[in-house]
Amino acid sequence: MDFVAYNEIMICQKPIRNYVVAGVTMGYEFQIKYPSYRGCFLSCIEDLYFELDGERLDNTYVYFGLNGKQFTMDEIPELFREYWDVRTPATIRVMCPGGLEKGEHSLRVYMKHRVPYTGYFGQYLTLESDRTAALVCE
Amino acid sequence: MNNDIKIGVSLYSLSTEYIHEKLDLEGCLKAVHEMGYKGIEIVAAQMVPEYPFPSDEWLFNFRGLLEKYELDPVCWSAYIDMGTRTDRDLTEAEIIQYTLNDMIYAKKAGFPLVRTQHAISPAIFRKMIPYCKELDIKLTIEMHWPHHPEVDVWKEYFEIMKGEGKGYLGFVPDFSIFQYMPHELYLRQAVEFGCRKEALDEIVKIHAEGGDMAKVEAGDFTEIEKHYAEEMFGKFNHPARIEQFKDVMDCVFYVHGKFYYLDNDDHDPCIPYEELIPKFVEYGYKGYIASEFEGHHFYSDVNCVDQLAHYVAMNKKILEKL
Repeated sequence: MDFVAYNEIMICQKPIRNYVVAGVTMGYEFQIKYPSYRGCFLSCIEDLYFELDGERLDNTYVYFGLNGKQFTMDEIPELFREYWDVRTPATIRVMCPGGLEKGEHSLRVYMKHRVPYTGYFGQYLTLESDRTAALVCE
Repeated sequence: MNNDIKIGVSLYSLSTEYIHEKLDLEGCLKAVHEMGYKGIEIVAAQMVPEYPFPSDEWLFNFRGLLEKYELDPVCWSAYIDMGTRTDRDLTEAEIIQYTLNDMIYAKKAGFPLVRTQHAISPAIFRKMIPYCKELDIKLTIEMHWPHHPEVDVWKEYFEIMKGEGKGYLGFVPDFSIFQYMPHELYLRQAVEFGCRKEALDEIVKIHAEGGDMAKVEAGDFTEIEKHYAEEMFGKFNHPARIEQFKDVMDCVFYVHGKFYYLDNDDHDPCIPYEELIPKFVEYGYKGYIASEFEGHHFYSDVNCVDQLAHYVAMNKKILEKL
């Protein structure tokens, strides 16, 4: 299958960091990259969700940060002017009062995305990128 | 030695190094310079920061980098991202604007040719002619698998290229359309995804004999093996024929020398380079063939620089005989 090797870059191998607001830990953050050889408009993402230590995260409390802006997960399909460069990480902020315990955690990222130029004979290729990685919360 | 064919490189060949951040754009330019390449192609959506709206500053600085590494800008690769929006495809106006933007960026960065895609449509392709003339930029459509010269829309494209667009509008055959056997990385992945090695060998044999799916259905194969057989036969059993290019070679402005994996300097077991290159020369092609390594879709542990070295050596041997 084409595109498979690009999934390796989806989860950035950087520590998870707790998100602290005026001394109060409100959640945590990690980074992901677009799993392809080239960048893409965010509107090509058809589904995106996360699991931490086996628990699916409620997208209500997940914020998607890119290009100096912050988006809700529900806005993503409409973001046809927001380009995600292939080497630029997006910061995923998860609101979770108290944050994460320090130490190793398992993160799963699932992304279903449309390859927007593949409309040969009327069909767009849609890819499912699914990766799990162990990340350390500092 | 034939001197009408030049072997260039698409920086896309270095995708693994680029996306894993081992090489940045300048690193890619330095690497291809050190490999001895002159002509380069850039996939703008991949390596141009601020894409799709790069600044003049970046575009002019890029020219400086090409000068620094003694490289010639040959092809600016653009896309028709028809499916960008969730609610609808791009409109004609949007395709025109995105295409014109790419032509302008290409001009500013010093490229004489833009590669776009089949979805541009004959009507829009024709509308770009005045801009090509004004900017003195060639606009080409990539003919990529699963397309081939006998897909209906290409007859219209050829007519435009040979008629009112002559000299400005052309096409870029991607050698993927001539692939007749699965490559080694595809087979490695098939085993990793659950195919038994010996069953896969048998499927490749059935494929080489013509790809009779009934034989697979009747044989002792698992579901995943049958899936791979179906995909393999569908993808590689109907390659384009070189004779289909005889009457349209005057419209070929550039070539994507696609390859997936080479373990030697002599022969690609999947794409018939020994036949293709002499025939392209015989049919009158003069210009660049871009080395386009694409194994990075499958595995990141294949060294792109080694792959390009094999590719250049193989083509050099073929060209020396002409």
